[in-house]
Formats: sequence, C-alpha cells, structure tokens
Amino acid sequence: MRESPYQTVLKPYGAALVELARRRPEVICLGADLTRQTETDLFRDEIADRFINIGMAEANMISIAGGLARAGHTVFVNTFGVFCTRRCFDQIAMSVAYPNLNVKIVGFMPGLSSPGGPSHQAIEDVALMRALPNFAVVEPADAIETKQVVAAIAERPGPVYLRLKRGEIPLIFDDDHRLDLGKAQILTGGEGANVCIVASGMMIPAALAAARTLSDNGVTAAVINVPVIKPLDGATIAAVARRSRIVITAENHTVVGGLGSAVAETLAEAGNSAPLRRIGIPDTFAEAGSREYLFAKYGLGTQNIIAAAWQGLGLNRPAPVAPVIETSPGAYAPV
Amino acid sequence: MGDAPVLDGSGLRRLATRIRMRATEMVAIQGFGYLGQALSSAEIFAVLFGGVLRIGHDRFVLSPGHYVISLYAAAAETGRIDPAKLVDYGKDGAELEAIGSERSPVADLVCGSLGQGLSGAIGFALAAELAGEDRYVFAFLSDGEMEEGQVWEAAMFASHRRLDRLVVVIDANNSQVDGPVTSVTTLEPLAEKWRAFGWRVAEVDGHDIEALRRALATRNETEGPLVVIARTDILGGLRAIPPTVDGHFIKLDPALRTAILNELEAALA
Repeated sequence: MRESPYQTVLKPYGAALVELARRRPEVICLGADLTRQTETDLFRDEIADRFINIGMAEANMISIAGGLARAGHTVFVNTFGVFCTRRCFDQIAMSVAYPNLNVKIVGFMPGLSSPGGPSHQAIEDVALMRALPNFAVVEPADAIETKQVVAAIAERPGPVYLRLKRGEIPLIFDDDHRLDLGKAQILTGGEGANVCIVASGMMIPAALAAARTLSDNGVTAAVINVPVIKPLDGATIAAVARRSRIVITAENHTVVGGLGSAVAETLAEAGNSAPLRRIGIPDTFAEAGSREYLFAKYGLGTQNIIAAAWQGLGLNRPAPVAPVIETSPGAYAPV
Repeated sequence: MGDAPVLDGSGLRRLATRIRMRATEMVAIQGFGYLGQALSSAEIFAVLFGGVLRIGHDRFVLSPGHYVISLYAAAAETGRIDPAKLVDYGKDGAELEAIGSERSPVADLVCGSLGQGLSGAIGFALAAELAGEDRYVFAFLSDGEMEEGQVWEAAMFASHRRLDRLVVVIDANNSQVDGPVTSVTTLEPLAEKWRAFGWRVAEVDGHDIEALRRALATRNETEGPLVVIARTDILGGLRAIPPTVDGHFIKLDPALRTAILNELEAALA
C-alpha cells in the first residue's frame, strides 16, 4: 500500500468504462445530464453511438435501461447516487432487480462527500440497494480498485449498484493490488488483533490511519476492506472479529442499513463475536459543507474510530491522538 | 406455437368476442377480477394479435399488468398458449397470475407497477435502432396510468429521439380504482397533450375494428412515434352488465356470468 497523503488521479472509472466498451460491443452508457460529473464525457467523445443522454428523468432512464438489457445489452447507468437510488426506487425494483437484468447503476458522490447538502448527499443508498433481491452493492476504495471494478461488475451477471467517489480519486493500493468481488481483504493486522476495523470506500484511509495510531500505542488493530457490501464476505470478517476484543465498522453512510448493519447481521448470526461499534452518519440528515467539515462534524474521522476502539476496550488512559496529515493540492488524506 | 393468424374484419370481430368470453370464464373462477379491462380492450388485442403484431419479431410491451387477462385470452385464441392453462388463472401456484409478472408468457415485457412500460418499450426501440433491425415495438398503455409522471418523461424522450418504430396504443376506458378517471384528475385533452409532446396521434373508437386497423396502418407513414388513443367502454358495451357495476374490479356471480356469456354467444352466432 501507498502512504497518506495519497496522490490522486482523475476519471479512472470513465477511462475503464471506455476500455470495457471497446472490447464489448453490447455495453451501453446512459446518463441523466451529468456527463462530465460522472466521467462519461470520455465515453460520449469516444463511442458516441452507444452513449445516450436521457435527460433529467431518472425513472425513465432506469426503465429504458431495463428494456435495453432485455434486448441483450449490458447497460451502465450514470448519475449522482441520490438520483439513481432514492428518486427511482420502484423503477429499480421492478424494471431491473426483479427481472435480474444486466444493468449496472453507478452512483457518484457518496455520503457526505458532496457539498450540496441533503438533496445531493447519498446517505442511505447502500441500505436501499442492499435490500433489493438480485442486486450486488460494490464500493471501491481507490483508483486502482475502480479501474478493475468496471470489468468485474460487467462480468457478473445481473444488476449491480456501484458507489463511486466523484472528482479526485486517491491511489491507496499498489499497482499489483487485485480486487476480488468475492472477497473482503485484510489490509493490515489480522486474526488475533485486539481491534477489528471493517471499512469500505472513502473510510479506508481513516481506518488505516486509526489502525496505525492504535498500533503505535500498543493496541493491535486489523483493517478489513469491504469493496462488496452485498453479498458480504462474512467468513473473512467473522474470522478476524471472533478473536478481537472490539469490532468497529466505518462507512460514509447512515449507520442504518449499510455496512455496519450488514456486519452486525453476519456477526450476530455467527455468534461469539466481540462487541460492535458503528462509525457512520448517526441516523440524521446532514447539511451543506466541505468533506473535511462534514466528516469531522458527523463523526467520520480517524479520531472517531480511535475513540470508539479505546472506549470499546475499556482502557482508562486517554485515547491517543492521530497525527494531522498535511496535504498539498491534489492529494487526499482522511479527516 | 405457429405464425400469427391474419384475420379479416369479421374474423377480428369474432376474435374480440371470444377474448371477452375467455375473460369472463377466467374471472368466474374467483368470482371477481379484471374483467372490465378485457371487455374494454378486446378489439385492441384482437387487432394486435390477429395480424398486426409479428410475434417473435416485433416487440410487445404490456404496461398495465392487470390487463394480462386480455393477453392470456388473445394468446389462447390465437394458438400461442394452451387454452387449458386458463382454468388456473389467478389460482395459488398458477403460471397465469392475475397481475402480470416476469412469469407471464408471450409478451416481451409485462409490467405491474404502472407507468413503466413505455420506458421499457423505448429501451427495446433503441436496441433495435442500434442493431439496425426493422422491428416495431408496440406498447399497450391504459389511460389511468398516465397520471404517473414517468409516462410523460418517456413520451418526451421518444419523440426527441424520433423513434419511428414505436407505437403506443392506449385503452382510454376512463376507469381507475377510485372511479372514472375524470373524477380523479383531468387527463384531457389527451390527444393534444401527446401531439404537444411530439407524437403523431390517432384517436379512434376502440371498439371499431376497422378504425383501429386504419390507425395502426399509419405507423410506417411519417416520422416519429405513433400513439393510438382508443376510446372504449369499461363494460365493453354489454347490456347484460348493470351500468352501476364497478368496471375496474368486477364482481361476477354465476347469474351475471351466464348473462354475459349468453349475450356474447348471441353476438358470435
């Protein structure tokens, strides 16, 4: 893995989608008036005949995607996460999920990464999409995973919700990192660590930073990256959680129905697990603001993970403080 | 099953009557159900399945899933499903469900949640266009579902893309769950609305076989998608049914069943 602050790249998804579509003529790209913002200007400029802008009509877009998929296409549907989940949920359920079609819904700007306030912050998209039969829910953590995830979800038959950060995408993993849709990955630590941190997407940098600070202060910590929230690789998580003293989930999403809930379900059914603490948006709508401001205000920071671990372990000395990471423009560091 | 029968006007009128008879017998199994939808749409389904629709080539989308009774009846009468299956219509475990689903035979897409069918039909039309195929896509809609905004999103987009091979047929029977559509909201002027959305519009008596055929025959004449607004009666003009009956969901006791079948048999003779 690389070190924080992470270098960033632009449009890894858009480039990977073009690359996939060049190899696979059945791939279609749909959009809803957010072409540049969803990195699909690359597709529009390179493969114009298979790029269709439906306009600001997400319900129509989802059901059109269903028709195209029935005719044999693999359809990537692109817009902001709020608009392609909560706005058109019945269309997703009936036009895509129930018939189990090859429609890949790509939602940008997850959780509190949007400065646009509640109308633009997809805080419950994972919960919604996880509840639908046939759907897989995928959230890569960096540009290396994002590049690989496009072909991987195209290979997987049936519908997928892909949750993507917008804009500058960090490079966290090494070039030889391999995304496996069937596996959660232990990034650091392992079975026997005191603290088991289970994280996805934009919370991976904070989880890694928290684990380092904990380890530097005598508390061993494992970090498990969960790029596929459904179907969840419960075996890998349960194996580490079983021998830990506290399990912490970290997600850029409401604590209701997302990664934390999925892990809770798995560990409760497995039995004999350590206590669980969920780091995430605490069942509330947020507000407009920068990522740094919102992550700090709503408890999505490195220090929140450390504090939850410390409290969960019942340690009576003060919790260690994570060092502040200086970032330059174009670099990415956790809050 | 075999190729589509191509029927003349008298054959299509008889087919429409047989669709109504089949539907009456299906609804009689439970004693209630979506008989009115079959009574109002019988001529539309007769014309589509009696020669217009090239099954296996053209696409057929049934947007309001509770009209699947008309599809079953038309499919049974034209040799596309085994008529023996109709006796299980709506029963637990039956292949033929009362509201259409992914399990419904014959159609390329049967929706259940209203307002989604036209968008699905657009997906088929775009796919045919990309592949350079000459398929027509026929989408059957009902007037009540036009209260859903998605229908108008789709209507706007289809004309923007000039989807010449997309044909919508609307059963305008002025019936929805809470009563006449006109009592719930104002859809009219329907023809002007579709025209304003960029469609070619034909407005016909939906029980007039020749008028339906003439309207559908214009589908290859000029540019842009075509909508046929078929004005119909939810009770199919049957004198046997008291006008006070709730046409959206008809309660059918044995006496009413017999009266309806007698009237329809007389029409066949």
